[in-house]
Amino acid sequence: MLYCTNTLEREPSVFHGIDPRSAIPLYVQVAERVRLAIANGTLSSAAPLPSVRQLAAELRINPATVTQAYRDLEEQGFVEIRHGSGTFVRELAPGRRARERSQQAVTLVRRLLADARRSGVSMAELQRALETELGVKVT
Amino acid sequence: MIAMFRAVLYTQWKWSRLIVMLGTVAAFAIPLLSLQGAARGDRGALQAQELLRSVQSWGTLYPLLAAALGLLIAITTWAPDHRGRHIHALTLPVPRWQYVLLRFSAGFVLLAAPIAAVLLGAALATATATLPPGLQSYPIALAFRFALAVFVAYAVFFAVSAGTARTAGIILGVIAALVLVQVIASIANLDLDLVSVTQSLLVLGPGPLAVFTGRWMLIDV
Amino acid sequence: MTHAIQLERLHYRVGKAFEIKDLDLHVPAGSIYGFLGPNGSGKTTTIRLILGLLRPLDGRITVLGDVMPEQHARVLGRVGYVPEQPHLDATLTVQELIDFQAAFYPRWDHGRAAELRGGFELDREQLFGRLSKGQKAKLMILLALSQGAELLVLDEPTDGLDPVVRRDILSALLTYVSERGATIFISSHLVHELERVCDWVAVMDNGRLITESPMEKLKHGTKRLVVTGAPREIANPPFRMLSRESANGAGETWVVSDWESGMTSYIESLGGTVRDVIDLDLEDGFVELLRSFRKVGP
Repeated sequence: MLYCTNTLEREPSVFHGIDPRSAIPLYVQVAERVRLAIANGTLSSAAPLPSVRQLAAELRINPATVTQAYRDLEEQGFVEIRHGSGTFVRELAPGRRARERSQQAVTLVRRLLADARRSGVSMAELQRALETELGVKVT
Repeated sequence: MIAMFRAVLYTQWKWSRLIVMLGTVAAFAIPLLSLQGAARGDRGALQAQELLRSVQSWGTLYPLLAAALGLLIAITTWAPDHRGRHIHALTLPVPRWQYVLLRFSAGFVLLAAPIAAVLLGAALATATATLPPGLQSYPIALAFRFALAVFVAYAVFFAVSAGTARTAGIILGVIAALVLVQVIASIANLDLDLVSVTQSLLVLGPGPLAVFTGRWMLIDV
Repeated sequence: MTHAIQLERLHYRVGKAFEIKDLDLHVPAGSIYGFLGPNGSGKTTTIRLILGLLRPLDGRITVLGDVMPEQHARVLGRVGYVPEQPHLDATLTVQELIDFQAAFYPRWDHGRAAELRGGFELDREQLFGRLSKGQKAKLMILLALSQGAELLVLDEPTDGLDPVVRRDILSALLTYVSERGATIFISSHLVHELERVCDWVAVMDNGRLITESPMEKLKHGTKRLVVTGAPREIANPPFRMLSRESANGAGETWVVSDWESGMTSYIESLGGTVRDVIDLDLEDGFVELLRSFRKVGP
């Protein structure tokens, strides 16, 4: 368990770039990062999450924010909060990680679209740029 | 409460140890010096007169030392709080009167050292001296009087410096006004002696400052 | 006790120039409460009133369930305070100051004091007057956290400090909160720092309260809208209009607070079109609130 906690600490990328200025509440951002780490395999089954105290001090955010994020993750079935010993990633049903990744993809595209609209980029222009970047023709 | 007192006493010691140590040395030395040369047994009545005069002139140093110690310790008691605008003291979890009492007693406890030194010095001086016939020594009375004078001086200056800079300013203002009126009166040739009026009001009356006046005699008839 | 600090209709005046009037604050127990306002807005004076250092002309101050300033000795034993300017005696050493404080607080946590002194790398023999600004701030935090306080009142605790020290201090505070469940009342003009940690915010200007609200509500409710075709006069909108300016060619820019997403239909019902709803961060929201307050009053 200690070992696993250390890997998380050595890999701050899980929580890297949390943005308190964003309109997305911080607890949503924290939960999203954990879901993503579970979906892409950075956090495997039974891996412990950092304690509320640790994560709050490290990210310099309110402990209540971390607690809220962990509670949401538990409700969504991603983690299990064992009182007294910590919060652990749950065994996920096959396909759940993949589903979560595609969910994340949808979120990313929505943000991209919103940004594009705001900066006055048309959908056709956006699509052309995507095709160039990916090297694939999208129909 | 005991822990608090110890803490306050420690800071008081750190702030005023030099004053306390010098004061203690002086308080020990004055009675010894005042009886210097009194140890000879072959003194007649004439020498007794001389000895009394010497003791009396040395005796003026006791009230001066008492006043100086009272003033300096009282200043060191409040100076750090004044510098910190009292924010630290006011946010401590004790009633304010209790904090003032802690500070007051810590200062007075340290003043016990020079008081004890006067007693010790006086006792030692009289024990080693052979007094001319007809003269008596009063070491305990002298030390008691010194203690009283130190206490009065300390209490007065403590009260003055416990106040804000404004209080101190008012007191200085009153003194300045007295001096000014006196100067104007002397220019106008008025028969007004404010200094002696104030003096007699403060010192000669039955007020507490009377302890400073009169003769401070270690040896007397 | 649901509120760690409660101010009701507080009135205080210094001379003729500055006045705190009708100040109401409710700091929920267990919250991290950010107290924002420009310099000279009355933050420090309010904090001194809360701690019983000043006596209000009128109104009621309740701290941890007790009335201030009457019960200050009882209350202050449960409140850790870090003032704007470190005010400790320069001739005492770090360890001497720690020992002095320890004597006054019956619930002093020697273990935490030692741990923080190590973590903050404070030399116990160093004189307070010789400490750097950052070390002084760290020592003040150490003293406040070691006394076992239920409420921490921090007046600009990280103002003017370098980022590393700010980080250390915030981490220590947050660790304390997660272990002890204490309430933090923190005044600052470093908006971004508060945005990270606070769940409640109050904004003050010129001795008056502009707003008091949960952080999420304030951040979510303050938006910049791009609107076209709305009527000139809008009577009693369901949101608060902070500012309204015509943008070059593209309709108008509104800044609103108390906004909810369903309110676009309200504007549409008036014949307007909401082209865009732009999120504001706390700093933008803070600036807009101040601007509107100074123009028209609360």
